[in-house]
Amino acid sequence: MRDRSIGSARWPGALLLLAAVFLLGGCATMPPLSEATRASVPQSVALDDVPFRGQRQYQCGPATLAMMLDHAGRRVAVDELIPQVFLPGREGSVQPEMLAAVRRHGLIPFVIPGSMDALLQETAAGHPVAVLQNLSLPWWPAWHYAVVVGYDLEREALVLHSGETPFREVEPGRFDATWARSDRWAFVALPPGELPASSVGRPEVQTVAAFEEVQGGKAALPAWRALAGRRPDLAMAQFGLGNALAGEGDRHGAAVAFRRAADAQPSLAAAWLNLGLVLRSLGETAEAAEAFERAAGIPGPLRDRAQSLLEAGLSPAAPVGGNGNRGRSP
Amino acid sequence: MKRTTRFVTPFLIASFGMGSMPAMATPTAVVDGLVTTEQAMKAGQASADRERIAELLNRDDVRDQLITQGVDPAEVEQRVAALSDEEVRQMNERLDSLPAGSNAVVGALFAVFVILLVTDLLGLTDVYPFTR
Repeated sequence: MRDRSIGSARWPGALLLLAAVFLLGGCATMPPLSEATRASVPQSVALDDVPFRGQRQYQCGPATLAMMLDHAGRRVAVDELIPQVFLPGREGSVQPEMLAAVRRHGLIPFVIPGSMDALLQETAAGHPVAVLQNLSLPWWPAWHYAVVVGYDLEREALVLHSGETPFREVEPGRFDATWARSDRWAFVALPPGELPASSVGRPEVQTVAAFEEVQGGKAALPAWRALAGRRPDLAMAQFGLGNALAGEGDRHGAAVAFRRAADAQPSLAAAWLNLGLVLRSLGETAEAAEAFERAAGIPGPLRDRAQSLLEAGLSPAAPVGGNGNRGRSP
Repeated sequence: MKRTTRFVTPFLIASFGMGSMPAMATPTAVVDGLVTTEQAMKAGQASADRERIAELLNRDDVRDQLITQGVDPAEVEQRVAALSDEEVRQMNERLDSLPAGSNAVVGALFAVFVILLVTDLLGLTDVYPFTR
C-alpha cells in the first residue's frame, strides 16, 4: 500500500526528495536494536489489556494519561484529567505536568532511557509506554503523546494507541524519526513496588523520592523496598528505604537499611548520621557514637552536626541512656 | 526537683523542636532530625534552607505562570504541589519552549503541506495518515 502511494506521488516528491534526504538522511532507517534485546524479548507483544481512550482536539496528553492510569487500575475519565494537565495557553500538555499528574493518582512515573531497546523491553514486560513524538518536522512541530501497546519484530511494526486510532501500526523507522525529535522521551506509570524493566539507578531513586514528597512515605515504602532489593549496591536506594521505614516507625529496619547504605558508600555522611540517630533512639549509644564519628570524619556540610551529636552523646547529660546492648538491631 | 527536670526536659525540647519543624517535613517522622532523602540527593546540603526558600519561590512563579496560561486557579495549587523540585525548575526556566503535546492539526501553507507530504512518504514524519 505504501509503495503504491509513493508511486503516485513520485513527481511532486522527487523535487524535494534529494533535499530532504540530504537534510534528514538516515532518520527513517530501522533503528538499531542490540543483539541482547533481540535475544531477550519475544518476537511480538500485544498488550491487549490497555484500554483505548480517544482524544478530542489537543487532548492527547489527558487521553494518554487516562490509558496509562486505567491500565494500572486507576480509572480516571479524560475529562477529569484535562484540568489537571492541559495548558490552555499552550494548547497542549507539557512533560513535567504529565509526570506530576501520574504522581497525583498514586502511580510512579519512571522516565525510561530513550532507546528502542528500552521501549521494547518495557512493552515486553507488560508495561505500556507513553511516548512524546513530533509527528512533523522541527521547524513546524506537531507534538503528540501516544501509548506504545505492542510490537512485531518480524512484520517490523510498532503498535500504538494514538490520537483517534486504537492499535495503530507504525513502521519502526517512521516512529523512531518522530520520537527522536523529543529526544526519545518516554515513561511508564507503575504502582509502588513495581520497577521498570530497564536497569535502575540514581535517576530512579530521584523518581521515587519525588513520589514520596507528594504521596508520603507510607505510599512510597513498597517502591523503596523494590529499589533497594533490585540494587543492594546502590547506597541512595538503601538510604531512601531507611527513611521510609523510620517514617513508618520501623526503627530496627531503618537501622539495617542505613547501615547497608553506609556500607555501600562509606563516604555518604548522611547515611552514617541517620544510622547514628536511629541507633541513639533505640538506646544503642555506643554504636550510635561510632556512626556519628564516621559522619564527623567525612568533610562536608554534615560534619558540624555530626560533631555536635558526637559530643552530646559523650557528655554525661546525654538525653537518651542505654548500655549499648539493649534492643540490638538485627 | 532535679529528677523531674531531667525527666521533663527532653520532652520539652522535643516538643519545641516539633513546633519549629518546617511545614514540609514529614509529620510522622519517629526519629527527629533525620536527613531526608531529597536533601541527601542534593549536593549542597549546607545551603539546604536557602534552597528550600528558593524552591518555594520557584513554586510561586510556576503558579503564576500556570494562571497566565489559562489554568483554572482552583486547580493550580494541586498541579504545582504534584511537581518535583526538578520539574518546577524546568517549568520555570522554559515553560514557553517545552514541547506541548497536543497533536494539533497542522493547518499550514501549501508549501509546508507539500514538504510534509513528501517527508511522510519518506517515512520521516507521521502527519497525514492518508499517505499510507
